[in-house]
Amino acid sequence: MIMLATNWTHVWMVTILGFCLVFLLLVVLIYILKLFGFIMRPRIKVAKPTEVHEAVGAPRKETSESITLTAEATAAIATALHLYYNGVHDEEPTQVTIKKIERRYSPWNSKLYGMNNLHRN
Amino acid sequence: METNIWQEILEFFQTMGFMQMGADFFGTGWQQLVMLFISFFLLYLAIKKQYEPLLLLPIAFGMLLTNLPGAGMFHSELWDAFLNPDSPYYHSYGAILKNGGLLDVLYIGVKAGVYPCLIFIGVGAMTDFGPLIANPKSLLLGAAAQIGIFLTFLCANAMGFTEAEAGSIGIIGGADGPTSIFLTSRLAPHLLGPIAIAAYSYMALVPVIQPPIMRALTTKAERAIKMKQLRAVSKTEKIVFPIMVATVVALILPDAAPLIGCLMLGNLMKECGVVDRLSKTAQNELMNIVVIFLGLSVGATATGPSFLNLKTLMILAMGIVAFGCGSAGGVLLAKLMNVFSKEKINPLIGSAGVSAVPMAARVSQQVGQEENPGNFLLMHAMGPNVAGVIGSAVAAGILLSMLG
Repeated sequence: MIMLATNWTHVWMVTILGFCLVFLLLVVLIYILKLFGFIMRPRIKVAKPTEVHEAVGAPRKETSESITLTAEATAAIATALHLYYNGVHDEEPTQVTIKKIERRYSPWNSKLYGMNNLHRN
Repeated sequence: METNIWQEILEFFQTMGFMQMGADFFGTGWQQLVMLFISFFLLYLAIKKQYEPLLLLPIAFGMLLTNLPGAGMFHSELWDAFLNPDSPYYHSYGAILKNGGLLDVLYIGVKAGVYPCLIFIGVGAMTDFGPLIANPKSLLLGAAAQIGIFLTFLCANAMGFTEAEAGSIGIIGGADGPTSIFLTSRLAPHLLGPIAIAAYSYMALVPVIQPPIMRALTTKAERAIKMKQLRAVSKTEKIVFPIMVATVVALILPDAAPLIGCLMLGNLMKECGVVDRLSKTAQNELMNIVVIFLGLSVGATATGPSFLNLKTLMILAMGIVAFGCGSAGGVLLAKLMNVFSKEKINPLIGSAGVSAVPMAARVSQQVGQEENPGNFLLMHAMGPNVAGVIGSAVAAGILLSMLG
């Protein structure tokens, strides 16, 4: 009875059309993202030294290329930089310094209550 | 005088929850008792097992409060009148504010669809769409994983649910709690309790549900595929992305605008870098406050009569079907894409197409590393994962426009 009461044409339509619409909308987003990626992709400037330019002394021409590194290469570069920058620091003076200790207030060593003050009064 | 004291004591005893539960024990009393035990069990899961504790704990406590007889914190009869076109209180928030308890007032935020959208602002502020921008094809996997929603919609119709109820049950397959609550509060508010609990329970069980499906649908060689490193994404791209997605999606599908709009607003606040205070507030204070309100009020809807019936069991069963089909859909599409594309995709990242950010992506990483410990799939899986958030919000918008 329940199966008969259901409007199966509408149910199938919602299922198929709904899923296709999700797909379609996300495919539209893919193309828009690809377009944006093409326009805005960060480009690393790589100087290509050409012998002729260097010989003449003319300014070097920079060409724009997108570089893709493998994960291993990136990890190797990152480790090398980390090791290098960890090693780059000032030589420490290796002097042992004693911190100045603040003396606590005590009326026993207070100048206000000293014998000299009483004498003055 | 003596009679008056006894009268007072008797009246006091009659107001006690125990007495009220006992007086109608064979009516609603036993249901309230069972619901209290279910809430204790959920609290145990949240605290001891740490299953999505941030949401499960307030949900379970809301369930506890609403099933305390005589406490009067939530009145389902007020909300029945609110939804009944023949009632003088039809769509009257004034009546709720006048006669309702604390949880009724908090529930207005769910009913008006405010809380899920506010949570999406926080989710957007915490999400990095970089992997998706770097590999736009991930959106296809996010779309394929939504098949669980529509297959479950079909099954639920076959099992006798109305189309609106079936749509709400299907959205569990999106593995996105706020989206499930948003759609259910619009299409089938009487099922909100079981659907929210099913959605969050299955999200917590992602590491248990997904790996067997992923292993069953892939070969060892496929699971070991190493993917090319993602390209770098510029800051401009990250700023333009939320503006562009919000505009395009809202123009094509206005019903998805509240969810997608809020998600992208949160992300824009994070990426633009000029409103750090707002971004931090969205990620922390706002998100936490709304989670408390949402959890308590959703738990409050799980009253005995609405929860303890065959429908709830059927919803729980179909929820797991929805989840499994979604995960399988993503994996299968990734395999299909491998047939046609030169650059091989590890099919394991397909299962991350169901939302459940970032747990689903972590599962892809873990299963991938079982085959090849040197394989790092996490960032690749984050693409389909965040695509799944967009996909499920879009699917919710479509179901709302067709069934609402």
